Amino acid sequence: MTSLNTFGAIMTFAIEMETQIRDYYQSAGEAARAADADKRRLNFERVRRENVTEIKLEPIDGLSETDYALNLSDTSAAGQKAVEATAARFYTDTAPKINVREAQRALERAAKQHLQNAEA
Amino acid sequence: MVQKLQHYIGGAWVSSTSDQMTSVINPATCDVLAEVPVGTREDVDAAVNAAAAAFPEWRSTPILSRAQYMYRYKTLVEERFEDFVRVVVEENGKTRDEARGEVRRGIESIDFAIGLPNIAHGYKVEDISSGIDETAERQPLGVFTAITPFNFPMMVPLWFLPTAIVLGNTYVLKPSPQTPISAQLLYEVLDELDMPEGVVNLLHGGVDVSMAVMEHPKVVGVSFVGSSPVAKIVYETCGKHGKRVQAQGGAKNHIVVMPDADLSVSVKNIMGSSYGCAGQRCLAGSVVVAVGDIYEPLRDELVKQASALRVGYGLEETTQMGTVISHAARERIEKMISAGVAEGATPVLDGRNKSVEGFPEGSFVGPTILDGVTANMSVARDEIFGPVMSIIRAADFDEAVDILNSSRYGNSASIFTSSGKYAREFKYRVDAGNIGVNIGVAAATASFPFGGKKDSFFGDLHGQGPDALEFFTDRKIVIERWF
Repeated sequence: MTSLNTFGAIMTFAIEMETQIRDYYQSAGEAARAADADKRRLNFERVRRENVTEIKLEPIDGLSETDYALNLSDTSAAGQKAVEATAARFYTDTAPKINVREAQRALERAAKQHLQNAEA
Repeated sequence: MVQKLQHYIGGAWVSSTSDQMTSVINPATCDVLAEVPVGTREDVDAAVNAAAAAFPEWRSTPILSRAQYMYRYKTLVEERFEDFVRVVVEENGKTRDEARGEVRRGIESIDFAIGLPNIAHGYKVEDISSGIDETAERQPLGVFTAITPFNFPMMVPLWFLPTAIVLGNTYVLKPSPQTPISAQLLYEVLDELDMPEGVVNLLHGGVDVSMAVMEHPKVVGVSFVGSSPVAKIVYETCGKHGKRVQAQGGAKNHIVVMPDADLSVSVKNIMGSSYGCAGQRCLAGSVVVAVGDIYEPLRDELVKQASALRVGYGLEETTQMGTVISHAARERIEKMISAGVAEGATPVLDGRNKSVEGFPEGSFVGPTILDGVTANMSVARDEIFGPVMSIIRAADFDEAVDILNSSRYGNSASIFTSSGKYAREFKYRVDAGNIGVNIGVAAATASFPFGGKKDSFFGDLHGQGPDALEFFTDRKIVIERWF
């Protein structure tokens, strides 16, 4: 899967990304950040389940998951900042492409949290 | 081993009295997903009798308790949300997002039913004459049934069943034999609720079973969703046998695009309308009426965006359009496209002979756009139920409205415009039951009735919303005086 061209593709990618970030922080011994990632994962699952409406299902273009690959092998402070920056960029790019406000809000909130982590 | 489906009658899974089965086919892979019984009149008798036997006790169960069953049902369906999505995709062929939208709509109907204790009231006038009071008491009627289609195998049963049973009726569902697994899953979850035996029953089968249900003396009402010719038969048969009926038929939905419409945004939404669920939706926009000089730029943008849609297997998240329901449907759709071309239409985007890598046997039809269509052509008049869009030119708004109102169908119509005046005129003058203003799929939510006029609906009370409350109950008038 390379293209993020549907609501479901974006939300599923977000869920998979947060799962990876949770596991990444668990292996790095960062329990609080792992818990935050898991909370976001659960929230995205809820948003995907509750907010698809055929009235507004429209094709999405211009996004590719290859642009948001995480380097999960580096658990150093710099590596963590890079992971957070990539995640923040993904959410910042995708939020405006989604036409369901509740989903947009969840993506924007995730972008803000990852950005704060990247700048911490 | 392929699953053999069973009826659910009187609170238990039971085999049909006939061994005859048909196959449920995944339209993308052609895998056999299950075998479904064709059903018999004896099976119908058993299901209806079980529902009739359950009615007195169920009716006397307080409505708040009946609603609580649906509250638990909602919770369990939410927990298995993605299981439902997968089943709908596998047996119907639509995309994951479309299936998610369908399951969500189904849950919204459960939500509506949970709230019924708040609105299912009678009414009373004191002293209608001196010392005499008059009351209209709302009462359930008995055994209701639904005969449901393949295109929304999870959502459409939920339009009816939760509302009917919360209002005190008992139920028999007869789903499409092409997509019975969604219903099977709905009933597996119902089975977990430990409702009184016979309140909800599932009956598989085809035309013979449907006829037996409609003719059964203990059935009081029938909800149907399907094609117009069958809806008319259902309406007539139910009338003949003295039953309540709401029969939703087919459609030929028009989308009017005015010269002042925002082209890019409008076309994006029209894509969802025309090609969502591969056009197998009774709200699919299948005729685009371009008004004035927007015709050429609109056509070009439609072709551009439709060409970019990724057609494939619905289980892949990146698929934007899935299959049609069967090889037979694909052949029928392709024949109708060919007929349109023979009548003079130009296929500026031709979805015939569509192949998708990895799915050589899949029932795929690509997005199709027919240019230069006139209102008298078969592709403009007849329901295709596939991903086929016809573009018609109209000189002005009035001609566009005339084209729409000349259709024998009246399910849905949409207008894309930035003019409030035209939007208002459209709502007022167009003879269709669901109107979209800058919305291509004007799908009523659960608390509103799903409209439909002319050959798109036979009956008085529509599905969903306040109409459903009236359809599934009667008003008994009590006039009383005490000495």
